[in-house]
Parts: sequence; C-alpha cells; structure tokens
Amino acid sequence: MTPLIEFHHATLGYGPKVVLQDVNFAINAGEYFGMVGPNGAGKTTLLRAILGTLKPLSGKVNIRNIADEPIRFGYVPQRDTIDYIMPYTVQEVVMMGRYRQIGIFHQPQPQDREIVLESLRHVDIENLRDRPFKDLSGGQKQRVLIARALATKPAVLILDEPTNGMDLSSRIAILELIHKLHEEDKLTVILVTHLLDDVANYVKRMAMVEWNFFQVGEVDEVLTEKNLSSLYQMPVQVAHVNGNKIILAGGRSGK
Amino acid sequence: MGNSEIIFTIIAEFPYALYGSILVGALCAFLGVYIVAKRVVFLGAVLTQVSVLGLAITFLPFMIVSHTVGSLAVTIVSVIFLSRLLTGKKIPKDAVLGFIFVFAIAARILILQKTPKVEVSEIENLLRGDILFVTPELFYTMLGVFVAAIAVHGLFFKEFTYISFDAETASTQGFNANFWETLFYVIAAVVIAVATHMVGDIFVFGFLVIPPIAAMLLVKRVKVIFLVSFLIGVFAPIVGLFLAFKFDFPASPTIIAVASVVLILAWVLNTLRRK
Repeated sequence: MTPLIEFHHATLGYGPKVVLQDVNFAINAGEYFGMVGPNGAGKTTLLRAILGTLKPLSGKVNIRNIADEPIRFGYVPQRDTIDYIMPYTVQEVVMMGRYRQIGIFHQPQPQDREIVLESLRHVDIENLRDRPFKDLSGGQKQRVLIARALATKPAVLILDEPTNGMDLSSRIAILELIHKLHEEDKLTVILVTHLLDDVANYVKRMAMVEWNFFQVGEVDEVLTEKNLSSLYQMPVQVAHVNGNKIILAGGRSGK
Repeated sequence: MGNSEIIFTIIAEFPYALYGSILVGALCAFLGVYIVAKRVVFLGAVLTQVSVLGLAITFLPFMIVSHTVGSLAVTIVSVIFLSRLLTGKKIPKDAVLGFIFVFAIAARILILQKTPKVEVSEIENLLRGDILFVTPELFYTMLGVFVAAIAVHGLFFKEFTYISFDAETASTQGFNANFWETLFYVIAAVVIAVATHMVGDIFVFGFLVIPPIAAMLLVKRVKVIFLVSFLIGVFAPIVGLFLAFKFDFPASPTIIAVASVVLILAWVLNTLRRK
C-alpha cells in the first residue's frame, strides 16, 4: 500500500495551545479510515492538518502528489457549519464543489453542469436538484454535501461527523452510501466521528484520538473493551450481534 | 403642484438627489443581502456610526483631510479590525459590534464638543447627510463607488456566495476565506462611508436591511433575491422622493417609509402564500 498522507512526529495545535503531540501514522491509497474520539479530543484538528488548513507546530504532515498534482480532497463538513438563510438550490450547492476547477473570473460551463448532475445521480438525489437545500431533511442534506464533495473529483473523501443528529434509517443509509463510494469507486475515505458504531462495522483501520491517547491500527486492535473503558473513563463492552459489533457503554446496566 | 410638475421639479432641480438616492438605495440593498445572510445586520448600523465618527474627526483643528477621505479612512481601518474580530470565536459578534457602536457615538460627541471650527448643530446636519443637497462631487464619487462595487461583486459573485454559505469547505478547496471576507467588508465600508456622508445614516442603514428582507420574503432563488432587493433599492427612492415633494415630508424618512411598506406587503404576501 502507498501512503497518501503521513504524519511524522507531528505536534498539532493553535498558537501556544497543543492539542495533539507526536502524532505518527499514515493513511494509504484506497483505504477506508476512521477517526474516533470524544468531542473535543482533537479529531477536527487532525482533519485540518490533513486538509492543509492547519500547519503542524512541529514535525511533518506529508501529503503525496498524484501525477505531479496535489491530492484533491472532497470535504463534507458538519452540517451545522453551513448557513441556511439563503435558499440555494441543491444544484447550486453542488456546483460550489466545482468553483475551484472553474477558476476565478470564469463561469460554470456545460461540462461542470454535467459533473454536478452526475454527482447528484451518484448519491441518488437527482430528483431534488431544484429544491432549496435548506428545506431538505438531514439525510438528504448530507447526500447533497457528499455530492458536492464528489463534484470536486476527489482522490480522498473526508467526512466530518456525517451521521450526527440523524435518525437510525438515515444514518444507516448514509453509512451504506459512503461504503459504496469506497467499494465501487475505489475512493480513499476518511470518516471522522464520535459515534463508535459508525466505524466499528464499516472501517478497516482507524485512529482513536484523545490527548495522551493516540492509537492507530485495525478496528479489532483499537476498539477493545480495555481501550474504550480507559478512553471514556467508564465500563464499555464490545458485543457481537449477527456479525456486527455493538458498543455498549456503562451506566445503569453496565455498572 | 400637480404630479407631472413634481416629477419635472425633482428631475430639473434635484437631479443629484434623485440619481444619488437611487445609487445608494440600489447598492445598499444589494450588499445588504450578504449582510442579512451573514447575520451581521448590526454591522450596517455600526459602520454608519463609524463613518460619521470619521467625518467628525475631520473637524478637529489639526486635521487637513477632506470629510469624505476622513470618513473613508476611519471606516476602512475599523472594518479591517472588525473583520478579524467577527471571524474569531472568543468574543460574540454582537458584543464586538455593540462595543464599536457605542464607542463611535461617544467619541463623536466628545470630538464635536471640543471642535472650535463651527457650530455643533451645523456639523450634526452635515454628519446626518441631506438627500436634497447632494453635491455633484459627492454624487460622482458615489457613482464611482457604485460601478466599482458592482463590478467586483459581479466578477466574484461565486466566491462571495460560497464563502458566505460555507467558508470552512471553501477554505479546504484553497479559497482564502479571510481574504474574501475582508474584501467584502472593505467594499461595504467604502459604500457605507460615502453613502452616509451623502444621504445620512438612517437612509443607509434602512436600505442595508429593509429591501433584502423584503426580497427574501418575496422570492426563493438566490440570484433573484439579489435582483429584487436591488430593484426595491431603485424603486423606493423614486416613489419616496415624489411623495416627500407632494406631501411636504422630509425626504429620507419618506423613502424609508416607502421601503417599509414594500417590506410589509412582502410579509403579507409571504404569509398568504404559506396558508
């Protein structure tokens, strides 16, 4: 496997505030990689370092070029970072994914419109193209944001908490869609979430992120009862039901 | 006076008032769409007060710059400072704007109390702007600002709308969100500074807010919202000036009243449509 993204003794943070120290790991081409950890653990900081919007305080973050060109990331942000006042249509939102390729001073061309439609078809929402984005359900909005990321023609798809605040069926549908994009399109996918179940059954390799606790490996090596209990400071069980992993936290029944 | 006589009088005697208020109305209404969408409506009020402070500073004995230059300089410096604070997360946006707002008003009052040049009331009149007495110099300055602002927004419409909608993702695609935010605020500052000097703070703030809200209630497409807001900015000053002459009302409040009626009608239409 060829590493696309490599962290070498990277210390990440903002000004004098160190969030993660001495981070060492790599994400390979074609991988489906998960990043989990409690809220505020530093997952978004790692993400920013990968996306190049945050420089490491020390150490290195190497992003490999593909065909002498920088890797193109398709980024799916958390839905609450988006402003919902203006009634952009689904098509207009997905077209934003083309803006970088269209370039400054230029307007969208027919091929950009075709890529937008193709991206919408890919996530099964072509029928929503003229609907206002702000009027859609959480699951539909997430599909639009994934379509926008696909419209950039990315080598790596990065999703930040894509299933946050969704009902069960929408959540599973989004996870299945991401899985399909990884399997069928051979996209490298990085899934960032605080929901352990999201990575437990979909991702092959993952990083568990917390200050003084940074572990990378196969899901079975990382998502152990010992690691999770230590990370969340409570008893955590990893159960298997019909071949699926289920994470059970302590509390009244867990004691 | 008959209606046609009023129209003739306005066009013949007060052309700069008519065309100037249309320029300011349309441009503020256009920029106001972003200001409402970015949830920084209070920024409009703050910048009008900052530009008035800039004007007041030019009355100090040692100041040798013109009123417009002084107003522009203070507003642009403030907006660069503000654009940093408004994108930060340590202090809430409204708290930053509230501080600048009261500071600008307090500083203006202090400066005017100590300026020996002219009577305070005269300066206050100048600071408030007067649509009917727009000078050709101010009008042509405003025309230049109008052309430049519309040209920049026309050229970079997709960049401005993308940053306004989702700055985080735009940054990951290589767009410098800080640059585009600052550029937007600087343009807004220039427009507000020149416009406030020309037609007064109430007119400017009113048109930054009222037409965009009316347009958002009336139509459901982003580009059409900009267009409708712009057209309200053109229409309200024409009708307002006409009514001000016909009924002997002060011009600025009459124009704001016309825009407000449009907003109320838009709200009624929107409510009826949703039933």
